[in-house]
Amino acid sequence: MLTQSRRWQFTLAALLVAAIVLFPIYWMLLTSVLPSELTRSRSPSLLPQLSALSLGAFRTVLARKPVLTWLANSVLVTVAATCVSLFIATMAGYSLSRFKSRAQQAAGFALLVSKMLPASLIVIPFFIAFSTFGLIDSRWGLILANAAVGVPFATWLMKGFFDGIPREIELAAMLDGCNGAQAVWYVVLPLARPGLAAAGIYLAIVTWSDFVFARTLVTNPDLWVLNVGMQSFLGEYLVDWSSLMAVGTLSLAPVLVLFLLLEPFLVSGMTQGAAAN
Amino acid sequence: MIGRSRWTGYALLAPALAAVGFLILYPLYLVIATSFRQGKTLNVLRLSELPFGLANYRTMLASEATWHSVWVTVVYLAGTIGPAFLIGLGTALLLNRAFPGRRWLRSLILLPWAVPGVIVSIVFLWLLDGSFGVINALLRSAGWLATDLAWFANEDTALAAVIVPTVWKAYPFFALTLLASLQSIPASLYEAAQVDGATHWQRFRFITWPGIRAPAMLAAILNTLWALREFDIIYLTTGGGPDRATETLAVRIYQEAFSFFRMGTASALGVLTMAMAVLLVLLSMRTIRREYF
Repeated sequence: MLTQSRRWQFTLAALLVAAIVLFPIYWMLLTSVLPSELTRSRSPSLLPQLSALSLGAFRTVLARKPVLTWLANSVLVTVAATCVSLFIATMAGYSLSRFKSRAQQAAGFALLVSKMLPASLIVIPFFIAFSTFGLIDSRWGLILANAAVGVPFATWLMKGFFDGIPREIELAAMLDGCNGAQAVWYVVLPLARPGLAAAGIYLAIVTWSDFVFARTLVTNPDLWVLNVGMQSFLGEYLVDWSSLMAVGTLSLAPVLVLFLLLEPFLVSGMTQGAAAN
Repeated sequence: MIGRSRWTGYALLAPALAAVGFLILYPLYLVIATSFRQGKTLNVLRLSELPFGLANYRTMLASEATWHSVWVTVVYLAGTIGPAFLIGLGTALLLNRAFPGRRWLRSLILLPWAVPGVIVSIVFLWLLDGSFGVINALLRSAGWLATDLAWFANEDTALAAVIVPTVWKAYPFFALTLLASLQSIPASLYEAAQVDGATHWQRFRFITWPGIRAPAMLAAILNTLWALREFDIIYLTTGGGPDRATETLAVRIYQEAFSFFRMGTASALGVLTMAMAVLLVLLSMRTIRREYF
């Protein structure tokens, strides 16, 4: 119906919108790859001279700050918390989808209530509990806190995906000689792969983004994650913006890749769950 | 199917129930219990030795700072949800069209949702920096700004300065929800309207809007709850300052607990914040029931 040129007009409009909303990200990248004389300027140029691009800020900050330690801590906590949450949420999502019970309504309610507690409030009881059990300044504590936070929504997401897989497929597999667990493992889970991907990405992004828990439950600088490391730049008298933007770029890179590649899964999952925020 | 018995179902659910108990029930219990403990302590293990009573609530409700924080929170919520909704609706209407490159442009336009709060904060601190911020430079060259403005440090602009990054992070959620409901509107309705000669506005008013109204309401409620919880952006950019100009309840709770070690006061403020969330949910229960469950 639409002529080809009309459709390209929408592409152009979308490009313009993307350029405007992504300007902050663009400016972070640009600041990290330009010498600070060019960005610490009264009238910085919005388009860079390509000849001025350099990775100097990355080299400086890697030499001056324990960025690689922070990065390793972030990766460790994110991977561990995501695996734990995903495991718990997959079992729970399957249960909610296949065993109709009162737990379903309760699950929706729990998800809603979990949307009502600020992290800055939840961290108080966590802090008290972790102090009691000696989990302050421990990676385990941080992993535990982050794993718990992701469970309600990831469960909801997985339930939606399992709901879309007909029971008949499982029953057919069982007629072919699988037992129940094998039917789930060899038939259902492979079909739920988009769901696992969506829930996994969601959990990874949430944990990677966590600041409150990492800031409060851990004080030892050796255990800092990237987010807390970045905060430490802000406390300095003169903020070294080039270095800070370089760390920010390093920290955003994995999120960017995950989100751009797998956003369609996330979108289709979210439209079922509709409560990702 | 694994087993047929109900017990298998509960066994699979058990770890999630434990997580929810740890995440929701236990904190609720502890926050309420702590809100009755008066005074401050550096050792949280000795909280239960503090005197028990209603004093925290009395002080909180009588304190001007509390109502100031409530007001800042309300302004912050309103200032975030309105613009985020409009930008979300605009981008959703655009992304609902079929055009070349839509898959990648949609991902890019929705990207801010995934950007961690700490990165959002440092980027906007840099963009809105008083001396070298690129926004000031742009405004100066456009002739809209005569002197340098330190957006986050100025009492009059700080609240607006924290709202901007919050909107930036919040609009993709609206766009996503609205996009999903736009795609469920049957194309035949638009074709019929075209035959009847309806204008663009009439098509939006009588077909699009009724189709997205309810999901839009739900998204607005969830986004309001999110903004009520939002902590990272304000804490990292202004810390609630200058002179409490951006001190929302979520930020105040943290400051009371971890800067002043008044866990009781912080918990009482937490109960107040939850009461606001409950009020919001109760007021919108009809929408939530219809759209959420």
